[in-house]
Amino acid sequence: MQALRTAATGMAAQQMNVEVISNNIANMNTVGFKKQRAEFQDLLYQTLVQAGAQSSDQGTIVPTGVQIGAGVKTGSVYRINTQGAMTATGNKLDLAINGRGFFQILTPAGVNAYTRAGNFSVNDQGQLVTQDGYLVQPAISIPQDATEVSISPTGQVQVTQAGATTPSVVGQLELASFMNEGGLSAQGGNLFLETGASGAPTTGTPGQAGFGQLMQGYTEASNVDPVTEITALIVAQRAYEMNSKVISTADNMLGVANQVKS
Amino acid sequence: MDNTLYVGLSRQMVLKREMDIIANNIANADTTGFKFESLMTKEVPGPPAFTQGGPRPIKFVGADGVARDFTQGGLRRTDAPLDLAIEGPGFFKVNTKAGERYTRDGRFRTDDTGRITTQAGDVLADEGGGEITIDITKPGEISISPDGVVSQGSERVGKVGVFQFASLSALEKTGDNLYQNASNQAATAAPDSKIRQGMLESSNVNPISQITRMIEVNRAYEQVTQMISAEADLSRNSVARLGRLQ
Repeated sequence: MQALRTAATGMAAQQMNVEVISNNIANMNTVGFKKQRAEFQDLLYQTLVQAGAQSSDQGTIVPTGVQIGAGVKTGSVYRINTQGAMTATGNKLDLAINGRGFFQILTPAGVNAYTRAGNFSVNDQGQLVTQDGYLVQPAISIPQDATEVSISPTGQVQVTQAGATTPSVVGQLELASFMNEGGLSAQGGNLFLETGASGAPTTGTPGQAGFGQLMQGYTEASNVDPVTEITALIVAQRAYEMNSKVISTADNMLGVANQVKS
Repeated sequence: MDNTLYVGLSRQMVLKREMDIIANNIANADTTGFKFESLMTKEVPGPPAFTQGGPRPIKFVGADGVARDFTQGGLRRTDAPLDLAIEGPGFFKVNTKAGERYTRDGRFRTDDTGRITTQAGDVLADEGGGEITIDITKPGEISISPDGVVSQGSERVGKVGVFQFASLSALEKTGDNLYQNASNQAATAAPDSKIRQGMLESSNVNPISQITRMIEVNRAYEQVTQMISAEADLSRNSVARLGRLQ
């Protein structure tokens, strides 16, 4: 009975929906996290009567066909890249991007990864690194005797060294942007890698056309809205229940058919 | 007497098919732009299986067609700049590998060359059937007006086409939220429809009416089974009685 299989696809889709929602809720407080959403599509249709087919020699046509759908599938799980709220941290090395763009990070594997999480630190050599110790590209070194670090909205890093009265420039941060940000592949650890779908990165200085500005002393909060997620969770649970109801009804119909006396 | 069995069987086959359609509606209750369907039935006059004394002609029941309800689904806010919902009649046109398709599912994105495509990568057609390309190296947010004009910053980059059909019943579902124009009627522009940016159209499935209909189908199926069982009892009893008379 098709209804059994159709309802099973519905349950599988809602289960996937709950998994995506729970990941969003779990990452509600992850810096730079972008929420995801599962979106569904209907499956193929079995055409039993073709609409528009000739129904007589006089040229009359069948006005409506009979098509039976086979259920639902997860069409895509896509990221919603809206701006997250700015959280003031007071930490000199926390950077938030206000607008488009990603920080470029050199992973130990030697490839560039991209992130919106700008909660950086310095390592033992004074280089600007992520919380995992991966180097920020282009490399920025903060001298040991720096008393003050200032990063401008356009990404210029200036330090004031002990004994000096004027700040000196030690580097320029760059951002990367992609034609299709949704096509980036998430690697965990707040990092993304480029894919064929995302297109090649375009680099530029912050504040330039097509790139956001940097904000020092802030991190970008996740764009997860708890109320929306909880509402979506309730909808998903009810939809799951409805599909299970269909399975028990279809099962009942099959049971009834089996009880026919002969 | 076999007529009862066959009429009952035709009813059960139709009910089973209707159950399949209800299951598909419920499975797609959360599918963007999905339109719910219901089965239309018709009388099928047929020659009786056993002619002596029975009513003529016997009317069986058969599936006549699937009615698709194209009423507006509710709009929900997503705030993604390329999520579009149509308020009013009409469809977006997308150019897939298999040809032109129409959809109410407005989850669009840009591909690696900046063209506006569906999530599956099929290019969205503008009002004349061409492509709409966004250049991200230029400044400005993407905004889409209710009449479909796409602008980036203050510059116009295209206009999303919304197309409608005189007869919606000639559209055929091909899955993936797409419809195919199965007839030779031409799509025309839908000037009265409005495009809402940052919103998606939910399915128009009403879960309560679907569940209610499912209960009705289930009970009707049971009733026919009762009828078939009663019919079988009747014929068994009559054979037994005829045997006693002799």
